[in-house]
Amino acid sequence: MPESLNTVIDALPYMLSGALITIAVVAGAMLFGLVAGVPLAVGQVYGRRLPQRLIGIYIWFFRGIPLLVLLFLFYFGFCTLVGLNLSAFTVAIIVLGLISSAYQSQIFRGAIGSLPAGQFKAARALGMSDTQTIIFVILPQALRLSIPGWSNEYSIVLKDSAVTFALGVAEIMARTHFVATRTYQHMPLYIAAGIIYLVLTYLGIKALRILENKVRIHGYIR
Amino acid sequence: MILWAENIRKTYGDREILKGVSLSISKGELKVLIGPSGAGKSTLLQCLNFLVMPDAGDVWLEGHKIDRAKKSELYAIRQQVGMIFQDFNLFDHLTALENIKIGLIRVKGMDKKAATDRADAELERVGLKEHAKHYPAQLSGGQKQRVSIARALAMDPKVMLLDEPTSALDPELIGEVHAVIRDLVANGMTMIMATHQIGFSRAMANEIIFMENGLIVEQGEPRKIFSNAECERTREFCSKVTDLYGEV
Repeated sequence: MPESLNTVIDALPYMLSGALITIAVVAGAMLFGLVAGVPLAVGQVYGRRLPQRLIGIYIWFFRGIPLLVLLFLFYFGFCTLVGLNLSAFTVAIIVLGLISSAYQSQIFRGAIGSLPAGQFKAARALGMSDTQTIIFVILPQALRLSIPGWSNEYSIVLKDSAVTFALGVAEIMARTHFVATRTYQHMPLYIAAGIIYLVLTYLGIKALRILENKVRIHGYIR
Repeated sequence: MILWAENIRKTYGDREILKGVSLSISKGELKVLIGPSGAGKSTLLQCLNFLVMPDAGDVWLEGHKIDRAKKSELYAIRQQVGMIFQDFNLFDHLTALENIKIGLIRVKGMDKKAATDRADAELERVGLKEHAKHYPAQLSGGQKQRVSIARALAMDPKVMLLDEPTSALDPELIGEVHAVIRDLVANGMTMIMATHQIGFSRAMANEIIFMENGLIVEQGEPRKIFSNAECERTREFCSKVTDLYGEV
């Protein structure tokens, strides 16, 4: 027992610096997903038939293929094919981001759909253009309503990021695996890795909860 | 005439909501639309500023025929025609003051300072200056409707369309909204209002328009429509609403 504990303690700084990489991958992917997911949702709700179709295909594609397949497809297939020399870290962010954008778009779409139709009508009645209405009236409300769904998505992307270890991204899982194969202390090391993930999940969800309360509309109960 | 519409038609699915309605209004007039639910009052009002796109018919504002194929013309007419909704439709994420400022800044292109001053003045006009920082969810129904009137007024509309402005309000709160509308009439605002408030309409309106099944059945001075309507159906409707909504 002391020996295994010592192994964990010795490996902890190494694993925690992996946590920083995990955090960077997750933050990058969530941001990518946000920036791409909002226009996808808007296009799906307010767009014409053709963009709606294309967005539908995009979402179907990225929600329908396993993460590992997409990672390999992109890293070993696509990047080699077009001669792109991207690091595993960058590919991890892009692929996780693409997938997350598909899921996030549905969170935003749901939030937009839950707003009363009168909000759009009232903005139009003032002479605002559709684009202005979406930017200044619809999205500020829809994004607020999206935070609970977004915190769910965060916890999923966080755990999905462990799969990027297959590309050799030096995140928590890769580093734990590296130490475990050398020390044979699998049990305590993977328990430690699990705890790190649990803590990261807790912190992220807590932070989003604080954000949710901070931007809550006063007197608004819904 | 400041606004007129000719032969407005609208069909939803296989239901014909408006079967060719024409109407006009001169500066400073208040015309009141009455009629049972489903008569097409609300759709007609929303066709006048193209919130609902009519299938046929044309709208003129100050002699200019609106070209509905041009988005810029639609944005322009909506800016000049204020609209008040039954359920207020204040922007829930903005305070009372911000609700008024957003149109001034985004549509009229005013700077923030000027917009704040104007919004303050409009809130004061509807007696809600002290509620400037309150969010819609913190206001009563009557207060919300007054903010929405202030929001529309701030845009300097040439005509106001009011779609049952008091129908969602407790009886006690109707009076405060009526007071604001009465004020507007006194100041010469041109308005078309759908309502079931017969007493108020009789006292304030220049003309009553009775609609049913997507058509105007009869129109005329309040006295005539309420006491001496030519059409049997008009008389029947008026006596029913009078029973419900108080003495004429």
